Amino acid sequence: MKTVFVRPERCIGCRHCEIACAVEHSRSRDLFGAFFEEPKPSPRIHVELGVEFLTFPNKCRHCEPAPCMEVCPTGALYRDEETGSVLVNYDKCIACAMCAMVCPFDIISFKKVWHVNFLKTVNYKCDHCIDRQREGREPACVEACKTGALVFGEVNEIIRSSRKDFTLRTTKALEGEEAPELPEGIVAFREIMKKVAHLGPLG
Amino acid sequence: MDVKIVKEIVEMRTIDEAAKEILEKAINEGIETAWDRLEAQQPQCGFGQLGVCCNRCAMGPCRISPFEDEGPTRGVCGATADTIVARNLLDDLLVGAAAHSDHGREIVEVLLKTAEGKSQGYEILDVEKLKRLAKEYGIGTDGRSKEEIAKDLALAMLEEFGTVKNWIQFAESRPPEKTKEIWKKAGIVPRSVDREIVEAAHRVHMGVDADYVNILLHALRTSLSDGWGGSMMATEISDVLFGTPKPVESYINLGVLKKDMVNIVLHGHNPVLSMMIVKAAGDPSLVEYAKSKGAAGINLAGMCCTGNEILMRQGIPLAGNMLNQELAIATGAVEAMIIDYQCIFPSITFTASCYHTKIISTSEKAKIPGAIHMEFHPETAYDTAKEIIKLAIDNFPNRNPDRVKIPSKPVKMMAGFSYEVIKEALGGSFKPLIDAIASGKIKGAVGIVGCNNPKIKQDYGHVTLAKELIKRNILVVETGCAAMASGKAGLLLPEAADMAGEGLASVVRSLGIPPVLHMGSCVDCSRILVLLADIAKEMGVAISDLPAAGAAPEWYSQKAISIGAYFVASGVFTVLGLPPKIMGSPNVTKLLTEGVEGVVGGKFAVEPDPVKAADIIEAHIEKKRKALGI
Repeated sequence: MKTVFVRPERCIGCRHCEIACAVEHSRSRDLFGAFFEEPKPSPRIHVELGVEFLTFPNKCRHCEPAPCMEVCPTGALYRDEETGSVLVNYDKCIACAMCAMVCPFDIISFKKVWHVNFLKTVNYKCDHCIDRQREGREPACVEACKTGALVFGEVNEIIRSSRKDFTLRTTKALEGEEAPELPEGIVAFREIMKKVAHLGPLG
Repeated sequence: MDVKIVKEIVEMRTIDEAAKEILEKAINEGIETAWDRLEAQQPQCGFGQLGVCCNRCAMGPCRISPFEDEGPTRGVCGATADTIVARNLLDDLLVGAAAHSDHGREIVEVLLKTAEGKSQGYEILDVEKLKRLAKEYGIGTDGRSKEEIAKDLALAMLEEFGTVKNWIQFAESRPPEKTKEIWKKAGIVPRSVDREIVEAAHRVHMGVDADYVNILLHALRTSLSDGWGGSMMATEISDVLFGTPKPVESYINLGVLKKDMVNIVLHGHNPVLSMMIVKAAGDPSLVEYAKSKGAAGINLAGMCCTGNEILMRQGIPLAGNMLNQELAIATGAVEAMIIDYQCIFPSITFTASCYHTKIISTSEKAKIPGAIHMEFHPETAYDTAKEIIKLAIDNFPNRNPDRVKIPSKPVKMMAGFSYEVIKEALGGSFKPLIDAIASGKIKGAVGIVGCNNPKIKQDYGHVTLAKELIKRNILVVETGCAAMASGKAGLLLPEAADMAGEGLASVVRSLGIPPVLHMGSCVDCSRILVLLADIAKEMGVAISDLPAAGAAPEWYSQKAISIGAYFVASGVFTVLGLPPKIMGSPNVTKLLTEGVEGVVGGKFAVEPDPVKAADIIEAHIEKKRKALGI
C-alpha cells in the first residue's frame, strides 16, 4: 500500500501542503474559487510549530488496523480496499468524536463540509486524495511539497532508498569525505533559529 | 486566564518592567498584540525566511528548494537561488533606503518653504549649523540672510535627489580619503539618492540583473546614498530647523503617562510634525482648555523615533519603543495617538477601538482605516497642531478611570548626544578619545541600533549586549529602539558607569556622561557615520581600520537592512541578532559574511545570543587594535 511518508527534517514550514489540501477538497477545486465557498474548505494536513521553530506536517496515517474504525459506532469509517485508505462516509458520521479520542496522531476534528447538504459537522480527516489516486495521481499535499518533506510511495521502497543514502553517507564519512545529510545553508539557518527560539516567546 | 500563566507569558515577551504590568492588563482584557499575532503566524514559511521565494512577476510565484537533491532549482524565468536571494535583499534594502530618504526630503522641503516664508510655525533655529552646511556645499554666507542661505542649501540638497549632478556632497566631503578610495575601487560611490533607489527597483525586474555579486554591490551603493545622503540630510536639516541636540535629562517607559492629564502620544519618525505639536502644546489657551475639561494639563509622550527626535531636542519623555505602541493604548489613559509614518502597526486603530483613544493620522502617505485623518502641511502646520491637541483634549472626558492603569516608575535617562556635543565634551577634538583608546582605557566603540522584534524578548538583545560591551570597556553609542531599550534599563545615566569596566568608567565619569550614549533617531545613525569618519580622519586611517563595530540585536525592518548595509559598506563589522532572508543562498551568505570584507572592509555576522555577539565584537575590536599597533 502506498503512503504519504513524512521526512520532517525537510519540512521548512511553508504550509504549501495545507493550501493544496484545502483547494483539493473544495467544491471548485480552484484556489481562487475556494476562498468564496461556504463552508470554507480547510486543510486536512496540519503544519504546526514544535520546538526551536521546527515543524512537522501531521495527517491521517491510514493505520491498519485503524483505531478510529474500530470504535466508530455507526460504521462511518471504512477502508478502501484498493488503496488501503481509511475513509469517512459523511452521511453516517454523527460527530460523536470517539474516533478523535483514539486517534494516535490527534488529527481528527469536525466541521461542515460541502459534500453533506444539511447542517452538521463531520470528521473531515484526510481522505488520502482518493479521487486523485484513482486517476493515478499523487495526493495534493505531496505534489505541493517542493522540499521532499512529503513523499508518496510504497513505504518499503522509500525506506530502501533512504537506507541506501545512509550507507553512502556513512561510507563517505569513513573515507573522510564530507557527506552531510542536509545542505549547509539549512543547517546554519536552523542553528541560528534554535538560538532565537531560546531568546523569545516562541521558545 | 490563570494569573500564573499570564505572568509566565509576560516574562517570556519582554524585560521592560513597566510594559510587563500593562501587557498583563492587555492579556486580561483580551487585547491582541504583536506577540499574539506572531504566535498565530507560526509556522512561518521557510521559503520566505530563507529568501528563496520570488513573488515578483506573474510567471510566478516561484520558490527554490533549499534541498539540492529535490525540488525546483530555478524559477520560471530561470533565476537561481543566488539571483532570487540577492534580488529580494536589494528589494528590501531599497525600501528601507527610500523610507529614510523620503523622510529626509520632506524635511529639506520644509526648510525650503521656511526659507521662502511659506511655512507656518517653523524657524531656522541653528544658524551656525546652517552656515557650516552652506560652506560644505559651496554656498556663500557672507552678508546673506539666513533665509537666503537656507533656500540655496535646500535646493542644493534637493538636487542631490535627482540625476543631473550625480554626486552627493556629504559622501564626498565627509568620509576619510581611504574609505572613499575603497568605494571608488569597488564602484559603489553613490550618485544620487533617488537614482540608486530607482535603479535598484529596475534591477530587480525580471531579466535585468541576475549576477548576485553585481546586485549586492548596487545594494551597498544604494545604502550609501541613504546613510551619507537621505538620512544624513534628515539629521542635519532637522538640526537646522529644530536645533542641534544637547545633553538633556528626561524619563522613559509607560509610566511617563499621567493620570490627571490629557495624554498625547506622538508616534512615528518625522520631527516636522512632532516638533510642531510640542510647540503648540505650550500654548496657554490650550492648557486652559485642557483645564476646562477637568484635566491638570497636557502631557506629551514620544513613541519610536519621532519620540527620539523630541526627546533629543526638547527633553519630552518617551513612552517606549516599537513593541510598546499597543501597550500605551492599553493603559487606557491615552486620549490621542498622533502618527506620521513608519513602524506604526496597521492594527493600531483596532487596538484603540477597545478604549477611548483616538488615532490621528497626519501624512497623506500613511493613512490607516479607522483613524481620524488631519493632514499636516508646512503651510498650516501650527494651526493643524493646535486642532489635533484640541481634539485630544475633547476626548479627555471620555476616558474611563476604571480601566486606567499607569505603571508607577518611569526611569530617568540622559539623551541629546549629537556628534557636536560629543566633540565638545572631548574639548573640541577627538584626540582625547583616541588617546583613551590607544591607552586601552577604552577598547573601542560600538553602535547598537535597530528595532524591536517580537521573536526576541523585548529589549533583552539590546540591553544584554550593551551591558556586556561596557563591562568590557567598550563605549556604546545608540539610536532608535535600541537607545530606548537602554533608557528603560537605566543604562543612559552617568551612574551606569558602575556597570562599566574600570577604564571606560573612569573616562565617562571624568566627562560626566553615561557609558551608553543616546545619539538620536534611526536616521541619526548618520551621526555615528560622521563620528567614525572624523575619528578615522584624525588618525589618518579608513573607517574599517577603527576598533569599532555595529550591532542590530532585535532588528525587523527594511530600514535596518539599509543601515546595516551602509555600516558594512563604510567599513564597519556589523552583527545582526536575527538572520536576514539570505540563508537559502550559501553564496550570498558567504559573500556578506566573509567576501565583502575584502571589498569594503566591513562585513556582516549573525549571532542571536547577545553574550556571544559581545564575544565576537570584542574579538573583532582586539584584531583591529592589534593591526593599529595599540
